Formats: sequence, structure tokens, C-alpha cells
Amino acid sequence: MPVVIGFEGSANKIGVGIIRDGEVLSNPRRTYITPPGQGFLPGETAKHHRGVILTVLQEALDEAGLKAADIDCVAYTKGPGMGAPLVTVAIVARTVAQLWGKPLLGVNHCIGHIEMGRLITNAQNPTVLYVSGGNTQVIAYSERRYRIFGETIDIAVGNCLDRLARVIKISNDPSPGYNIEQMAKKGNKYIELPYTVKGMDVSFSGILSYIEDAAHKLLSTGQCTPEDLCFSLQETLFAMLVEITERAMAHCGSQEVLIVGGVGCNLRLQEMMGVMCKERGARLFATDERFCIDNGVMIAQAGWEMFRSGHVTELSDSWITQRYRTDEVEVTWRD
Amino acid sequence: MAACKTENGSERKLEFFLKVPFPSEREATIALQSLSPDPEPRKGGITKNLDLSGQTLSVRWTADEARILRVSVSSFLDHLSLVMETMDAFGPPVSQ
Repeated sequence: MPVVIGFEGSANKIGVGIIRDGEVLSNPRRTYITPPGQGFLPGETAKHHRGVILTVLQEALDEAGLKAADIDCVAYTKGPGMGAPLVTVAIVARTVAQLWGKPLLGVNHCIGHIEMGRLITNAQNPTVLYVSGGNTQVIAYSERRYRIFGETIDIAVGNCLDRLARVIKISNDPSPGYNIEQMAKKGNKYIELPYTVKGMDVSFSGILSYIEDAAHKLLSTGQCTPEDLCFSLQETLFAMLVEITERAMAHCGSQEVLIVGGVGCNLRLQEMMGVMCKERGARLFATDERFCIDNGVMIAQAGWEMFRSGHVTELSDSWITQRYRTDEVEVTWRD
Repeated sequence: MAACKTENGSERKLEFFLKVPFPSEREATIALQSLSPDPEPRKGGITKNLDLSGQTLSVRWTADEARILRVSVSSFLDHLSLVMETMDAFGPPVSQ
């Protein structure tokens, strides 16, 4: 019955979570929110995390009703993500692991999302669409690896949405993506945007350039509203994601789709994916914002799986890395 | 603490030394192991070496430019204070 604590802070969310045998004992989190029109930079994000991480850690222990001695393993995000915030979190994880005399486990952030999605939804062997501000990948498990079937060749889908939010200066509270989703519901004019699926992969940077340009022109001449832009961008981006997910499903003969990552909270994306799944007789799985959005317990859960199958990270190997491919990890805990 | 030295008559390197005392050797070791794994973000123009002697963690930097040195030292001090705050809040270390 190992109890694992997980630390996550690769982007603007800092979370610490505790899990015991598939039961979430606590999962507190804080988000660094910037003013409208601004994104989050590594140094400032790291500073935010530094300011709250010890408080969040104490909250995690208190909510779980546990003491340090009850923890069996300390998991943290080794990568991928932003360097400065990753270091901040890793330093605390290393320090408490040593203070408490517990083994340390460096976890791949993407695998954290996948393992949490699997746990919560009980999907057996899904095609995974991992979509967030930092990542966009279609993943399927095969022979001890989470293999990347398709991905963005430039920016993540969430990044594209966040950058539109900056241009039209909407609030980043609770997240730019959430506010775009709400505005999109009120949009009714479809503005045609480039549609850039590249085989199994997708490209978003061209669409972003196009819509940034279009936004300035169309809004100033009153030809459309910001709501119309949000609506049009979502429809285009999500249709592309549904297409590449379907392509991967066809390759794998898969009957399950699992959406993970912050953009996975988006109900319109879930709806569109649901339509495709229904047409194929497949099942769609998604989680709510507690687990879609970056959080500590997803790292704890992946750490739990890794720990049980014998992984441990030596302190000298516990360096963080901004680039960490999902298929670099040997998934020894699955057949 | 920062000194200019000419080496081989052609290079000027800046050096910075820091000695941090800890209440025990164990805590100094914990700090060392928490602060040493990550590589310097900037690959060239700076080196940083951490060392332990007894209860003291010593750090030595060499850099080509003052600006690069300042950024690295400043960053290290932030991380060091985070380690110390963590040890205050969640220590003392369990007996081994």
C-alpha cells in the first residue's frame, strides 16, 4: 500500500498531491495568473512557485491527514516543461526526500497525465489525446512504451488559444482557455481559418499568425466580434485534433479515446470528439478540471506505478530537463 | 569576493566564492545534493563547483562577464534559501 507524494510545477500551476493505492488523499494547487494580454515567463513563474510551494506541501499533508513518516516515496516532475519552475520544484522534492529518508522518483509530465487519466476513467487501452498549453500529442501504448503517433510540429494547441486570448486581451483568470470557451459559446459567425493537418501531425503556428492578423483587421472594422474569433478558432483547432485522433485510432484498431491535459477540460472539444467516437462505435473518456489541468497527484500516481515496478531516481540523476519525450520512458508497469 | 585574474596573459576571468555554514554535516550534505544535480542553464561563459567540507558547503564560480556571474549567483542564492526554508519547515532530517 505505498503512499506517494507528487510535486508538479512545469508551467504556471504548482500542485502537490498524495495518493495511496489509487485513492486521491489530497491535491491542492495554485495557479500563477498574469494580467490580460500577458503570458507567463519562466523567472516570474519560478518566483511564484517558490513563494507558495511549502504552503501547498503542508496543505497536501494536512488534507490527507498524514505525516512525513507516512509517505513512502517522493515523486516530482523531471520534465518536460519550463526550466526555472521545474528546478524550483525539484529542489524542494529532493530536499524533503532526503529530510524524510524516502526514495525519489523523477516522473515524465506527459506520463503523469496519461496515468491519472487511466486511473480516473478506467479506460483499458485508449488512444490518448494529450492537449495542453505546452503539449499536443496523440499517444498509444505498445510494447512497454507510450508511442507518439502524431503531434504538433510547432506550437501546442493550448498555446495557440492562449496567444489569441492575449491579442484580444481577455482575462487569464481562471485560465485563458476557459474564457475563450465561454466566449466561443456566444460566437455565431464562422471565420474561415487555415486548416493544417499534416498526415498524422498538426501545425498551429500558421493559424496563429493568420488569426492574430485577422483579429486586428476584422475587429477594427467591426466585421466580427471577439466571440466569433474564439468560436472559429476552437472549431478549426478541435476539428484538426479529432482528425488526427481518428487517424491514430484507425491505425491501432482502437475503440477508446482518452483526452488528457488542460485543453481536455474544454467541453466543445469533448463534444466534437464524442461525435467521431459515436460514428466509430468507440468510447470517449475525459476527466474534470481537477485532473485535466496540471496537478500534483497525477505525478504521484505515475510515481506510484513506477515505484511499484522498481524504479528509483538517484539524486545525482535527478536533474530536470526541458525536453523529455513521452516515448523515452520504459513503461515497465504495463504488459 | 569577486576577483579579477589574468590567466595565460590573455583571459580575464571573474571568480566568486561562497561558504555556507550549516548546523550539521548531514544538513550540509542534503543542501549539496539538492542543489548540484541541475546543470547551469547557460552553457558557456560560466562554471560553478559545489563542494562539501564538514558542515560547510562551499561554492566557486568562474565567469567571463560580470553580468553572467551575477545572474548565476543570484539564482543560486534563491535556490539555497529555498532549501533552507524547506529544511526549517520540514526538518530536522530523520536519523539514518
